[in-house]
Amino acid sequence: MVELDDKIGSRFEWMSRGELAEWQSEALAKTVLQAAKSPWYSAVFRKMGIDPASIKSPEDIVKLPFTTKEDLRLSYPTGMLTIDPEDLIRLHTSSGTTGTPTAILHSRADIDCWAELMARCLAMTGANSKDVFQNMSGYGMFTGGLGLHYGAERLGMMVIPAGPGNTARQIKLIRDFHGTCIHATPSYAMHVAERMIQEGDDPKSLGIKRAFLGAEPYTEEMRLKLQELYGFKVFNSYGLSEMNGPGVAFECPEQNGMHVWEDAFLVEIVNPETLEPVAEGEVGELVMTTLRREAMPIIRYRTRDLTCILPGECPCGRVHRRLARMTGRSDDMLIVRGVNVFPSQIEEVIMRHKWIGGNYVIHLTKAEALDQMTVRVELAKGEFDGSIETVRNLRAQLHKELREQVGFNVNIEVLEPGSLPASEGKAKRVIDEREY
Amino acid sequence: MYKEVRIFVENKPGKLSRVAETLGNAGIDLLALEIADEGQFGVVKILTADPERARQVLEVAGMTVAFNQVAVIEIEDKPGGLVKLAKAIENAGLNVSDAYGCILERGKRAIFVVKGENLAAIESSAVKAGLKPLDKLE
Repeated sequence: MVELDDKIGSRFEWMSRGELAEWQSEALAKTVLQAAKSPWYSAVFRKMGIDPASIKSPEDIVKLPFTTKEDLRLSYPTGMLTIDPEDLIRLHTSSGTTGTPTAILHSRADIDCWAELMARCLAMTGANSKDVFQNMSGYGMFTGGLGLHYGAERLGMMVIPAGPGNTARQIKLIRDFHGTCIHATPSYAMHVAERMIQEGDDPKSLGIKRAFLGAEPYTEEMRLKLQELYGFKVFNSYGLSEMNGPGVAFECPEQNGMHVWEDAFLVEIVNPETLEPVAEGEVGELVMTTLRREAMPIIRYRTRDLTCILPGECPCGRVHRRLARMTGRSDDMLIVRGVNVFPSQIEEVIMRHKWIGGNYVIHLTKAEALDQMTVRVELAKGEFDGSIETVRNLRAQLHKELREQVGFNVNIEVLEPGSLPASEGKAKRVIDEREY
Repeated sequence: MYKEVRIFVENKPGKLSRVAETLGNAGIDLLALEIADEGQFGVVKILTADPERARQVLEVAGMTVAFNQVAVIEIEDKPGGLVKLAKAIENAGLNVSDAYGCILERGKRAIFVVKGENLAAIESSAVKAGLKPLDKLE
């Protein structure tokens, strides 16, 4: 018999499929009515002749239009807001977007719900209030930091909000305060282990029991390697800022797919070309509708992440269906150091510089388990004035603008004109040599 | 005033030999050569008797070339040969931040090549001291 803890929403966690379906119908109907209060959705519904009250069950979802990242940009900053702005308590903007960011606004109920979903994820892995949790994820606008933080506090864990980087301090804090759980990107967890081994130390000696890893793609082999190095269990996490952030889907101790909290998110998998639902178990684009969001409900959001629903029931007994590892994107978005980067963002900055020729290449590699982005540009013909200082200053300016655009340091190489392969038609701009 | 030829190059093996080969094949003699390095890229600076032709052959070979103004002042190639010019520049209250010397005829003629600012003032201070700024090298 499972003990129900309302503080972390375990009544949702242990619902039967029938109860869940009933809840989803009610929640979807409420969500659509709520969405209709926003300027954006009321206009969309009016234009498409949709009566919000006619949406009564998950089967009706196909009558509703998709929402894209572009829609979020167009409705920026408050076009999808349904409540009095004074009742908002948090803003997150999505990492790595072109020009206009996308803003997600949260009411108190939204933040509460997010914390509950996140706490439920952590509890599902076996963590509890006795655990000490070191959060190595970035705080601020990036949802990974605050999302895990609120969830861990809700569960009653002691949180060490270490943030990313400063490896020596991370190791010291875990040792001194007996950290039992960590949240990091897979590559950073690997970096810490490698660093310890280099210094003659053993990552196992830290005594960490669980690692919650996400924000970038990585392989099952890397999970096994990390588990072996640290002696902990790795749980995969999936989330995106449009759906709060982390806390959307998480692994249970079976470590076989991520249970997506279907009481809070209605899940569809569609063919990204035809937008028709794929057959069960087939890979397609994940589309999600918020079911418990108040301030800013989002309907049929195209995540662009490619995945499938794992068939069959999970031995853990939870009925929330499981998402497979993300296998890629239906757009060209790159994930670099956990940050979402579109090649177009890089191009936008490059094109502002008239000293650069039209050709460029984005080269991704790994150094010490950390993603490195190198942008190769060509000096434009006729732009060389003979001075090395001029080229140096131009490069420094480009470096600064790229760092502002993507949020991390980008290496820049300035090449002679004509050294990059000429682009005919669709140029290959991205060379990804990272190994996961 | 004189034209120094500057070539933008990526810092990787074979770049300098490409410059040398191109000039050598065209029969262009180098009087002096400097390299400024910025890690991933650099600038090769050359002084030659025919900067216009040097630029042309380098550009035809696909290289990125620019001219840079320098003052070239002839001095005597002997111990103390630079003193007269250095004094003249000092008396004019001028600073030299980037320069080098090279020999044209051993024991007879050398040149002092000055870059940067105040090139015209440096040239006129040299003229006043009885020295000769060159606008041609052979």
